[in-house]
This record gives sequence, structure tokens and C-alpha cells, in this order.
Amino acid sequence: MILELSSISKTFILGAERIEALRGVDLSLAEGEFVTVIGSNGAGKSTLLNVIAGTCRPTRGRVKIAGRDVTRWPAHSRARWIGRVFQDPLKGTAAHMTLAENLALALRKGPRGLGLALSHAKRKRLEKALAHLDMGLESRLNERVAHLSGGERQAVTVLMATLAQPKLLLLDEHTAALDPANADKVLEVTERLVEESRITTLMVTHRMDQALRTGSRLIMMHKGRVHLDLGQEEKRNLTVDDLVGLFRRVGVTDDELLLEAVRGRSSA
Amino acid sequence: MTLFVHAVEQGLIYGLMALGVYISFRVLAFPDLSVDGTFPLGAAVAAALIIGGWDPFLASLVALGAGAAAGAFTGILATKFRIQGLLAGVLTMIMLYSLNLRIMGRPNLPLLGRPSALTATVQALHLTPPWGLVLVAAILAFGFKILLDLFFHTELGTAMRATGDNPDMVRAFGVNPETMVILGLALSNGLVALSGALVAQYSGFADVGMGVGTIVAGLASVIIGEMLFRPRTVIWATAATLIGSCLYRGAILVALRYGGALGFTASDLKLLTALVVLGALMAPAIRARLKGEEA
Repeated sequence: MILELSSISKTFILGAERIEALRGVDLSLAEGEFVTVIGSNGAGKSTLLNVIAGTCRPTRGRVKIAGRDVTRWPAHSRARWIGRVFQDPLKGTAAHMTLAENLALALRKGPRGLGLALSHAKRKRLEKALAHLDMGLESRLNERVAHLSGGERQAVTVLMATLAQPKLLLLDEHTAALDPANADKVLEVTERLVEESRITTLMVTHRMDQALRTGSRLIMMHKGRVHLDLGQEEKRNLTVDDLVGLFRRVGVTDDELLLEAVRGRSSA
Repeated sequence: MTLFVHAVEQGLIYGLMALGVYISFRVLAFPDLSVDGTFPLGAAVAAALIIGGWDPFLASLVALGAGAAAGAFTGILATKFRIQGLLAGVLTMIMLYSLNLRIMGRPNLPLLGRPSALTATVQALHLTPPWGLVLVAAILAFGFKILLDLFFHTELGTAMRATGDNPDMVRAFGVNPETMVILGLALSNGLVALSGALVAQYSGFADVGMGVGTIVAGLASVIIGEMLFRPRTVIWATAATLIGSCLYRGAILVALRYGGALGFTASDLKLLTALVVLGALMAPAIRARLKGEEA
């Protein structure tokens, strides 16, 4: 197992209020699995990714990555196994540095030494990786990332997250802030890179059609619990309407969910 | 002519301090006020050691180390103990005020007639005034500038630059941004203290009050350089900072010499400096407002 979560709970205390973001989540990911995660607002999807990445420590439970118990490890220490892409395209890159410098940072995971960040060989390698994105970015290595569009930045972030061959890729609604055309392009790039590198992937998405179409397994979360865990075969025959029905059954009736279902269908 | 020579000499020697401020303010985006304490710390350490019979080069090097330690202290306060950056710097600065007095034993240590690393180098290279000292200062300042440029193009240096830009991203690539801040502030304050050590040897004394307004002077140099050259790479930014520092010192020397006619005295200097920095900081907002009204 690449990832093993056992009875993960996370309670946030905001003043007098206790928010139970996760209530005993058990989840195991085998090598090479591509799992999509959907859920209503406040289902705990992002908290789950934060617990795995180490930016949030669970109140209870254990996190194991590649067989090692990393529950108490700080985020930067487990980062050597994890690639991560956030919803906000601005979060994944350093705007004032060049594209080449950004990518060079992603070539290695972990502490750095005094070796040159960009050698000729590295530059060639990065150029090749960029050309593979098929977005014409390979000729813009010396441009500042701030000059790139949101879609371009997010595609670069996905590339950066996979460049050092992590064991686990965490995608947190990484196409949600993009316009439909860019979202499709970034998703296409993501699927291609994940397929080629066989990285085990956990992708949170608000689009049910995306969740059904992408990946080899689908998880539905609600109120801090995993309510549904479907394999490749089971999800193949499912439609967005089926999913909405399944959400209804666990008690999700809020407008937010309907809105997402509609959004999902219109762009499908 | 002598005014020009002095402006360049001082600009380059104080330029090391400006490079330090460039690291904290621009690279790390950390408003570090410890420099007001580490600049006189460098002066105090070097002066006390030189008077104690130490070699001035060695004394300057120890000053650099002392500054780096003080910078790291501010960094640790700000990261490991989550004290606001601004406050962490102020606390270090205040602690250093007492510490500097203790190191010197009194508020002012004269160095007249004592060996100086700068004049020793001028003599060793058989250089003559007025350009000898300028040349030595230039070699020193640009030497450190090139070292810094090289550092910021290493893997570690790139990670440090990215930390000021986007600490989350740096963390995601397995680098602890806290370590980068501590290291960066050590580097920054090491340079500031070295600058203080050299200024003490250059002007012939160390004074406990010589650090007041260091941060403003450093920022002024960085901003003047940025306004004139609009640097887009580290190499240009550090060069612009050194040139900005020379222009700033030149402006001060002019103000000191001719300001009297306008009724200014030396004590008005800090006010004038702060006004220059204020003007530069307000310029973008004013420009935007003017543009907005035109549109």
C-alpha cells in the first residue's frame, strides 16, 4: 500500500464551536491507483488531503505512506514522497522567478546543497518536459511565471508536482479555478502525466462527471466520513444522476450539491 | 571631486549593508529591523577586538559572524516561536543596544591611529589616494555581490528566493521554509555587521548610536537602485543596490555640505532620508491614482 489511513479524525475548535471535519476515515491506496474524491461542501475532502500532506495533524488516527508511519512528520519531511497541486494556480509556483527556475526547484525533493540550480543538462531536460505538455511553453523558459496564464501556471504546477516522481500525487480541486477550456486542458495533462509515471493519485473534484470519467476508483465523502467507495467496474456504468441519487440517500439535499450536479452535466 | 570620491567610498562600504537589507526585504520579504542593532554590533565587535590588539581583518570577520548569529536569532524568534517578524527584529535590536554597550564598555570607542582592514589593503596593494580606497571598497563590495549572485543561483539559493515568493510551494518540494528564513537572515545580518565593522574602521570610531536608521538607509539604497534600473534578475538587483547606495551617500554628502545654506543641519538628515524613502514608497500608489483619475 502506498497510502494507509486508519481511523483518521480531525476536530477543529473555533471558539465555543467544535467542527468535526473528519470522523474516522479508513482509506488505503494501492500502487498505481487513481482515486477521485467527491463530496458535499464541508465533507472534509480538503482536510483529508491536508492530513495526508502533513499541513494538518489529525486529532486521532494514523497516516502511513509507503509503509512508514508519518503521522507526526512535518509537511516538508514527507514532501519527498508527495506531489501536490492546489486549487489556486498562484499557490504552486513562485511568480517572480522564471519558469526554468521554478521547474528546477521541482527536480529534487528535500534539502538542497550548493550545486548550480540550472545546468545546461537540466535546462535541456526541462525543455523536453515542457514540450511534452504541448502548450508551447518550452520556448518561454526564461520568462517570469507571473506572465503565464492561470491555465498555463496550473499545467506547469502539475508537471512540477510529478517531475521528481513522488509516490503520491494529491490534487485539490486543481481545475476548479480555471475556465472550462483551460480546465479540460489541465485535466488532460494531468491524466497523461499520471498515466505515464504511474503515480498513485488522489484527486478531489467538485465535478461529478470528471470524477466518473477520470481515474480507476471513486470515493464519496459526506460529513467527515467515506460513504461510498467504487472500483473501476462499478463506476463505469454510473451516471451523474446516479451519483446525485446516492448523495440524496446519505442525506445530502442542499442546493450546493444540485448546483454542482448541474454544473457537472452542462460541461460534460 | 573629493565629494564624489567620498560618496563612492562610503556608498560601497555601506553597500554591503544595503545588500543585507536587499536579502531580508526583497528576497525573503521579511521586514527585518534587527539591522539597526547588527550594524553597530559589527562596529562594536571589530572596534573592541582591534583595540584589544587583534588583526583588523580577523576582527571584521568575527564581526560578520556576530551579525550572522544575531540575524539567525531573529529568524528563530520569527519562525520557531512564531513571533511577528517586525517585532522579532525590534526585540533583537533592543537587546543588541545593551549588548553593544557591554562589548564596547562605553558609548564610543575611538579607533584613531589603530590599524584598519581598508587602509591596510590599500597599502598592501601600493595604491595611492584618492582612488586607492575607492578601488579596495569596490573590489570588496562587488566581490560580495558576485558571491551573493552565485549563491542565489545554487539549489539552496533558489529555494531561498522561492521562500520569499511562495513558502507553501517551497514546503511542497521538501524544503523547510523556516530554515530558509533563518539562514537568509543570518546571511543578511552578517553582511550588515561586516559593513558596520568597516564603517567603524573607515570613520575612526564605533558609536552605540550609529545604527539608528540603518534600515531606512538600506531601504533607500535598494529603492533608489530599483527606481533607476528596474532590475529583473538578481544580478542586476544587487548591482542596482550598490549603485543606489552610492547615490544615497552622495545625496547625504551634498545635503551636509550645502544644506546649511537652506537652514538644514546634520540632525535633520534622518528626517530627509525617511522622506526620500517615503516618497519612493508612495510613488506607485500616487501614480496609480493619477492614472485612475485620467481614465
